[in-house]
Amino acid sequence: MTDVTVIGQGTTVRGRVSGAASLEIQGHVDGEISIEGELTIERDGLVSANVDARVIIVRGAVKGDLVAHDLVSLEAGARVVGDLKAPRIAIAQGALVRGQVQAGGGGSSSKLTSRASKPAMRVESAPRAATPARSEVKPAPRTVPSVLAGARGTNGSSAHASERKAPPPVVPVLKKVKGAIAKRR
Amino acid sequence: MAGTVIGSGISIEGEITSDDDLVISGSVRGKVIGKENVTIEQGASVEADVSGGTLTVQGSITGNINAADRVDLQTGARVIGNVRAARFTIADGAQFKGNVDMDV
Repeated sequence: MTDVTVIGQGTTVRGRVSGAASLEIQGHVDGEISIEGELTIERDGLVSANVDARVIIVRGAVKGDLVAHDLVSLEAGARVVGDLKAPRIAIAQGALVRGQVQAGGGGSSSKLTSRASKPAMRVESAPRAATPARSEVKPAPRTVPSVLAGARGTNGSSAHASERKAPPPVVPVLKKVKGAIAKRR
Repeated sequence: MAGTVIGSGISIEGEITSDDDLVISGSVRGKVIGKENVTIEQGASVEADVSGGTLTVQGSITGNINAADRVDLQTGARVIGNVRAARFTIADGAQFKGNVDMDV
C-alpha cells in the first residue's frame, strides 16, 4: 500500500519529486518530477513541472515538458502546455495540447538534449516552418491571375516576373509564427 | 482515507503542504506542513520541519515537530529535533533527542 505514492487532492508539493516508483497526482505539484515508474496525473491534478518518467498518463492539467521513455498518453480532459517527447504518444479525443510533439526515436537520450538544446529544438522546427510554405501557396493563385492579366495587357512581362517574385508573404507569416512561439513561451 | 501517500521509492526535495491526511514512507527533505493526521512510517527518512494535527512517527525525523493536537513516537521512531505539542508520547524503543514544549 505504501509503495504507491499518491499526491492527494488537498496536497501541494513544491520542489523536486524523484525516485524509482510510480506516482499518482490528484493535487498540485510545482517543480520537477523525475521518476522511473508510471506517472498518472488525474483529472483534478495540476502539475507545473517538467516531467520525466517511463510512462506518463495525463487526465488533468500540465504546464511543462513531458518526456517519457516508453509512453505518453493524453486522455480525454487532459490539458497540456508544453512539449511531448516519447517513443509512443497517444492523444485521445478531448485532450488539449499546445507544444511540440515528438513521437518515435528512443526517448532515452531525451533528458539532457531536450533541456540543453531547447532553442535548437525550436530552430529545428523546420516542419513548423513548413507551415508558411503552405500558406505561401495561398497568395500565389491570387497574384498569378493578376500577373497573367497584366501580361495580356502589356508586353512588359519581365517587370511582372519580378513582381511575381516580389511579394512572397513569408515575412509577415514568419512574424506570426514567431509571435506564436513567443506566446507559447 | 484518500489523502496523500509518499511511497517508499519516492524522494521529495521541497515543501509538502496538505489539508488531507499525509503518510510518508519515502524520503523528504525540506518542509512538511499538514493539517490533519501526519504519519511518518517505518523506513521513512524525513529531514524537515514537520507540522500537523496529529503526528505519528515510526520512522526517522531530523527537524522540529509542531503538532496542533498530539505527537506519538512509536517503537522504531528516531527523532532529532524539538517537539511542540499539547500531548506527547514516547513509546518504549523510540529514540529521541531534543526539547519538548507542551504548553504547560
